[in-house]
Amino acid sequence: MRQSAGRILRPAGMTFTREYHAMLKIRNSRDFVGGVTMICVGLLFIWFGQELEVGNSFQMGPGYFPTMLSLLLMAIGALIVVQSLMVDAEAGDPETWNWKAYFLVILGPIGFGLALAGLGLAPTMLLLIVGVATASRYANWRHSILLGLFLAACSVLLFTKLLSLPVSAFGPWIPFIGDLF
Amino acid sequence: MDIFSNLWLGASTAFMPMNLFYGFIGCLLGTAIGVLPGLGPTATIAMLLPITFGLPPESALIMLAGIFYGAQYGGSTTAILINLPGESSSVVTAIDGYQMARNGRAGAALATAALGSFFAGTVATILLAVAAPPLAAVALNFGPAEYFSLMVLGLVASVALASGSLLKAFAMIVFGLILGTVGTDVESGTPRYVFDIPELYDGLNFVAVSMGIFGICEILRNLESEHERSVGVKRVTGLMLTRQDIKRIIAPVLRGTALGSFLGVLPGGGAMLASFASYAMEKRISPNRAEFGKGAIEGVAAPESANNAGAQTSFIPMLTLGIPGNPVMALMVGAMIIQGITPGPNVISDEPALFWGMIVSMWSGNLMLVILNLPLIGLWVKMLTVPYHLLFPAIIGFCCIGAYSINNSVFDVFVMAGFSVIGFALSKMRFEPAPLLLGFILGPMLEENLRRAMLISQGDPSIFVRSPLSLSLLIFAVVVLALVLSPSISRKREEAFTE
Repeated sequence: MRQSAGRILRPAGMTFTREYHAMLKIRNSRDFVGGVTMICVGLLFIWFGQELEVGNSFQMGPGYFPTMLSLLLMAIGALIVVQSLMVDAEAGDPETWNWKAYFLVILGPIGFGLALAGLGLAPTMLLLIVGVATASRYANWRHSILLGLFLAACSVLLFTKLLSLPVSAFGPWIPFIGDLF
Repeated sequence: MDIFSNLWLGASTAFMPMNLFYGFIGCLLGTAIGVLPGLGPTATIAMLLPITFGLPPESALIMLAGIFYGAQYGGSTTAILINLPGESSSVVTAIDGYQMARNGRAGAALATAALGSFFAGTVATILLAVAAPPLAAVALNFGPAEYFSLMVLGLVASVALASGSLLKAFAMIVFGLILGTVGTDVESGTPRYVFDIPELYDGLNFVAVSMGIFGICEILRNLESEHERSVGVKRVTGLMLTRQDIKRIIAPVLRGTALGSFLGVLPGGGAMLASFASYAMEKRISPNRAEFGKGAIEGVAAPESANNAGAQTSFIPMLTLGIPGNPVMALMVGAMIIQGITPGPNVISDEPALFWGMIVSMWSGNLMLVILNLPLIGLWVKMLTVPYHLLFPAIIGFCCIGAYSINNSVFDVFVMAGFSVIGFALSKMRFEPAPLLLGFILGPMLEENLRRAMLISQGDPSIFVRSPLSLSLLIFAVVVLALVLSPSISRKREEAFTE
């Protein structure tokens, strides 16, 4: 995809773009991105660990092991990048993306974490289930709400009653019902 | 004999009503998740770990082990009946198992899978009981240098045996090792990469991390290509094997058990590799190889014995050395740590009831699975009619509350969410998440032993080659690496994984 896009964008007769193309021909864009990501991860850990004392191999400081590993990760990342420039990608299944699902499934737990203390377990669970269920194209509201109610009741029974987690079924944001439990 | 008194101790632990009960629950849950595609043992064990905190260590580990080998049974049921492998380890079973089912021999295929698994499980249990104590005794003499080399070997071998790109698997191990350094440095007390977040001083919680990269991430992948399952299964009849069937499966079961037991012990090995390798071997040497792919009973017997044997023997390095060979074992190590048990060679002598109880429970669990599975097949197939759009919200709900209950803090829920994003991004770039978890679990141990070894040797790295044991472990690691990198083997390796 990248290559065909490059071909379209490259104006004819401009030699420097041709050189650029020959030098940096990415044959496996997925691996290229992967390798660059690994280099960035290594850099991030070195950056955030600069305060840590590295020491020497005899008296290793707290920064020794992570710094060495970060350098190693960057080296591996560089090798992956080199490989992505030399070895063609194998033809695989085309990637499918489902942004709505990613969005809902990842935000669900975050919302759960934010609302748990205030709403209490039962309403948070219900909202979580109904919320993430909409990520599926086969979901329908009736099923989701029933499932949410069922799991809310189960989790209250199992976690607050049996395992006595320090979370109430209904939190302070729901004053009236919360008082009943 | 010593081993009999040990096994007696194990039996008295494993057959305690409470432990039998939790073993049963584990097997039942394991079979259920084995049947359901899209929910594997790793995610399930991660999800259920917080619930086991309140249990005694024996019951907790017996239940978690039951989930793992129960999944091997469950996965084969759907592979045979509807050509839908519930687990990666039963992918090859589907080839001939489903053909047998189409020929009206589903009952025979299921019986073969169950009996082969039971036989393999029994052999692997005996192997575990016989091999573990001497191995642990050797490991008791390990110094930091030997431990470091052993872990290096483990990590290298787990890469070699994994599928996909080697470089990327190495990158994942190193990434995991770095993530393992987050938290307070044990030696100096210095906080590392904590960003003044108090919850991070104890490090990232591995349960939250694994729920993110295995549980939630798997859901994200499944939702990309979501389709309704239509399940049409005929009634299963004729569970009895004919005399000729039995004659045909004896040799494959024995070979599968042997190969699976061997591959299970290797780091990175375990059930999936065992089943693939034994199917490939059987296809080459079986006298009925012409029938393979058209419903050969050997094609069910061999991989099913192998995956169960491999699942069981993968406990050997975990129980004797404290070194996990696959993500499930990494979670078991975590479960032990949470229960206040230090994994390693001391487990056998310090916690004999736990160790032998677990071993005997594996055998009793296998027996339960045979008894449980064959009559309940109708129920398991019914489970498949639970649509995914009802299943995955429940998984997310359990993950959230499970993550919360680790430390009764929502921070771990955020860690889980964060790692689901990381895991998903990595899987989009075709990085395997399993080596990351192994590195993450082994990271702190690796660092500690490295630092201790270097302190002993006063900064001289030759300590790792001066000890003969450490040297031979490192040489072995280099040989494994060289073998995998050599062109002819890597070609074979690719063939083995594509097959």
